[in-house]
Amino acid sequence: MPPSSDLLQGTLDLLILKTLAIESMHGWGIAQRIQQVSKDALQIGQGSLYPALHRLEYKGWIQADWGASENNRRAKFYSLTRTGQKQLKAELENWDRLTTAIALVLKQVQEG
Amino acid sequence: MLKELLTRLRFFVARKIHREVDEELQFHLEQQIEVNIAAGMTAQEARRQAVIAFGGVERAREECREQRPGYRMETLLQDVRYAIRGFRRNPVFTMTIVVTLMLGIGATTAVFSVVDRILLRSLPYAHADRLVSVGLIAPIMQQEFMLGGSYYDWRDNQTPFEAFTSETGVTPCDLTEEKPARLSCANVEATFLPTLGISPVLGRNFTAEEDRPNAPKVALISYQLWQSHFGRDRNTLNKLVSLDGQPARVIGVLPKDFEMPTLEAADAVVPQALDEAAQRKADPGRVMHAFARLEPEVSMDQARAALHPVFDYSLWLAPPQFRNEVHLQVRSLRDRQVHDVRLVAWVLFGLVVAVLLIACANVTSLLMARGAGRERELAVRSALGASRARLVRQALTESLVLSLAGAVAGCALAELLLHLFIAIAPEGIPFLNKAQIDTRIILFTLLISLLCGTLFCLVPALHKPRAEALAGRIAMATSHAALRQWLVVAQIAASMILLAGGALLFRSFWNLQNQHLGMHTESVVTARILLGQKGYATQERQMEFFQQLERRLRYGPGVSLLAMSDSLPPGGYHHDQIYASIAVAGRPKPTSGTGGLVAWRWVTPDYFRALDIPILQGESFTEEELTSRSHFIVLSKLLAARMSPGQDPIGQRLQLAGGAPDDPWYTVVGVVANVKNGGLAGEDEPEYYRLRRNLPQDWSGTAAIIIKTSLRPEEMSRWIRSQIATLDSTLPVDIEALQQRVNKLADQPRFQTVLVGFFAATGLMLAVIGLYGVISYLVTQRTQEIGVRMALGASRGDILRLVMGKSLRLIAWGTVAGLVAALTASRVLSSLLFRVGPHDPVTFALVTLLLVFVAFVAALIPARSATRVNPTEALRNE
Repeated sequence: MPPSSDLLQGTLDLLILKTLAIESMHGWGIAQRIQQVSKDALQIGQGSLYPALHRLEYKGWIQADWGASENNRRAKFYSLTRTGQKQLKAELENWDRLTTAIALVLKQVQEG
Repeated sequence: MLKELLTRLRFFVARKIHREVDEELQFHLEQQIEVNIAAGMTAQEARRQAVIAFGGVERAREECREQRPGYRMETLLQDVRYAIRGFRRNPVFTMTIVVTLMLGIGATTAVFSVVDRILLRSLPYAHADRLVSVGLIAPIMQQEFMLGGSYYDWRDNQTPFEAFTSETGVTPCDLTEEKPARLSCANVEATFLPTLGISPVLGRNFTAEEDRPNAPKVALISYQLWQSHFGRDRNTLNKLVSLDGQPARVIGVLPKDFEMPTLEAADAVVPQALDEAAQRKADPGRVMHAFARLEPEVSMDQARAALHPVFDYSLWLAPPQFRNEVHLQVRSLRDRQVHDVRLVAWVLFGLVVAVLLIACANVTSLLMARGAGRERELAVRSALGASRARLVRQALTESLVLSLAGAVAGCALAELLLHLFIAIAPEGIPFLNKAQIDTRIILFTLLISLLCGTLFCLVPALHKPRAEALAGRIAMATSHAALRQWLVVAQIAASMILLAGGALLFRSFWNLQNQHLGMHTESVVTARILLGQKGYATQERQMEFFQQLERRLRYGPGVSLLAMSDSLPPGGYHHDQIYASIAVAGRPKPTSGTGGLVAWRWVTPDYFRALDIPILQGESFTEEELTSRSHFIVLSKLLAARMSPGQDPIGQRLQLAGGAPDDPWYTVVGVVANVKNGGLAGEDEPEYYRLRRNLPQDWSGTAAIIIKTSLRPEEMSRWIRSQIATLDSTLPVDIEALQQRVNKLADQPRFQTVLVGFFAATGLMLAVIGLYGVISYLVTQRTQEIGVRMALGASRGDILRLVMGKSLRLIAWGTVAGLVAALTASRVLSSLLFRVGPHDPVTFALVTLLLVFVAFVAALIPARSATRVNPTEALRNE
């Protein structure tokens, strides 16, 4: 199980943005969702999750509102702002470019 | 982008509350607990597992906080606040560092400002790096010159220059119209401005036709004159003004930054209007200065080589006695301009570097001591979780705050020093009065201080705090201690150099001030008058004016003697001629060499009595000789001894202009004692005096009135001024006590002495602070050791010996290293020294004694406090 710090620099931001693109969520929910979707391959510790959330909030890509959780407790819900949506699109394109490029190189190396 | 910025700004203003982060983290934890319970754990176990999985809350909270925009700014402010609190707790330390930096930076900046203007300024000409000054070097003049007889040949036959031009000097001229003014007019060739790459801001340069002897007069005026006299009126162009009584057309205005390459002040540039054909034939012709622009890709050396054929040709035409003493000179314009201040400028620069080094060593040493003292604090902070980067940042902030404080104080000091320099500087140091602290220099200062700052702080900060430091025992930072001791040795050595330089210059200045001038300057007031062309165009008019003035002054109140001459000893201008052209009756002419220069002046009979110059043989000029048609002459002892060794010169007859058939014969009537005539430090020239008779041919527009008076010089000056004004109220006069004139000649050495003295004192003070700091630091470090020694029975004398032994070793090393360096460096000063050798043993002995004594006292204070250590208290700390 790779620890979150092994995630590529900036990848955590992308994962959070992508997760929030579907619906607004609290921190716990985001971590659970990423873990679930990645079939337990990616576990996000609170130590990196919350600083990342705060960073994104300060950048204005996501916004936080206090709301009630499923079990009716006060929790902070994060949602994507409009800048965040644009940013997500740009980051996704970036990611595609990067992975394609890496894949090409790896393939080349294998064939050679 | 803008939106992002706004968001950041919003969060910067409305800080998030810490509690929110806690609540959020708490929620996360509880969710985990619930999941755990759902998985079947007991409530207690669920909580335990959740907390373990969760990890450090504090770190997460801290990291969340660090994401905040402006976090860095906040920590910086925090660091600055912390630093300032620390400095306030330790004012002596802080003041010492700031004062040290202030002295170092202030002195550096002030001197850099001066040196920059002298050595590094850009000249106001196009492509000034290709401009050169060309000419002959001969004993007659300090700087290179050309003669009309050969200039035109050079100009026509030279190959290395794309342009070659000349000027014949700056002369006073009178602007006579509704607002009369005495101006200085530069007489230049038509090609002068184009060669230097100067184009008038208004109008045009004059043509070669206008540069002919009888062409209608034209003039270009300086921007300043255009502004002050003509109110920047564009209609000034083509206006006819009256220059020296003749109409001249203003055809152009020079650029604002125009200056003559010789740095003489010029209000107007006029054609030199030389008769080229006559000059070509003349021998030697007009004295001129030649300037040239090198062809691209031609070096100075190549130009010199290429000029040799024409130079050799000119030499071949010259009288044989000149040939061995004349050399060719080609040098850059800048070299010509800084001619004799270059050495002073570089010496200053060297001094400043020495002071700056001492200052830097001091600050490093002090910060190191502080760093060692704070080892425990750093260890504690490190243990509490401060990262290494954070500690380094904190240390950097501290030294930057110190450096900036030092830099600000230094800039203020520099401004002050610069004013001081300008106030005490003699005339003739070019551009000093224009020197100012400009932005580049402030940047230079900041750079130095920042460099100092980073350098100083990194040494102690990079030093990883050791765990033992937590124990509170002062660990011996031995490597630091050794480094600091070397710094002190270097400081003592550097201040030895400064002190030696200062002492040598002081002795030299003392010799200069207290030498015998050969005359008495007390209670003598002199007035120098230069008659203009307007109203005094003929020698008759000039003689008439001066004789009228003499009659008015001669029997005035308090005037005991009055004499007139055309120049004044001991420095400044006087006539010169070469020795070889004096022919003695009945003696063959000397054949080889020029024999050097002979000074001469026009004087009236009372000259020798007014200045108290003893008459050694024969007698002074008499009143009867004033009206005689024959010529009389008085020689100085030096000239008499040279001309007729072992013979009585009285009654000898001389021809002064080479012995041509129409050259008049002069009869020697007396021999007087030698008077200094080559400036205070210069070599004395042999001298003769010609009598200014009551004949117009003996008079010119220049005269110096010498009055011996019983009145105070100020009263006398006022009275003389009023008397001259009744004759001609527009005449500019320069009245000064002779003593004052002589003092002015010592201005330059005084300036050097004061400056070097200032740096020596600064350096010594800083070195003493450094030594004191190191020794007292060593003492504090060894308090426990000293306590143990005392407890074991060491006497106070033993402790004193222990500490002082260490100090004396440092002092000895520093002094020896300094002596060696100073003896080597002082050779540079030799040409600035007057009657004292660069290795003068007395000076060096005194300086060594002074340095050792001061250093000894500085070390004694902490050493004595070491002997007062109370063993019980020192050991209780253990």
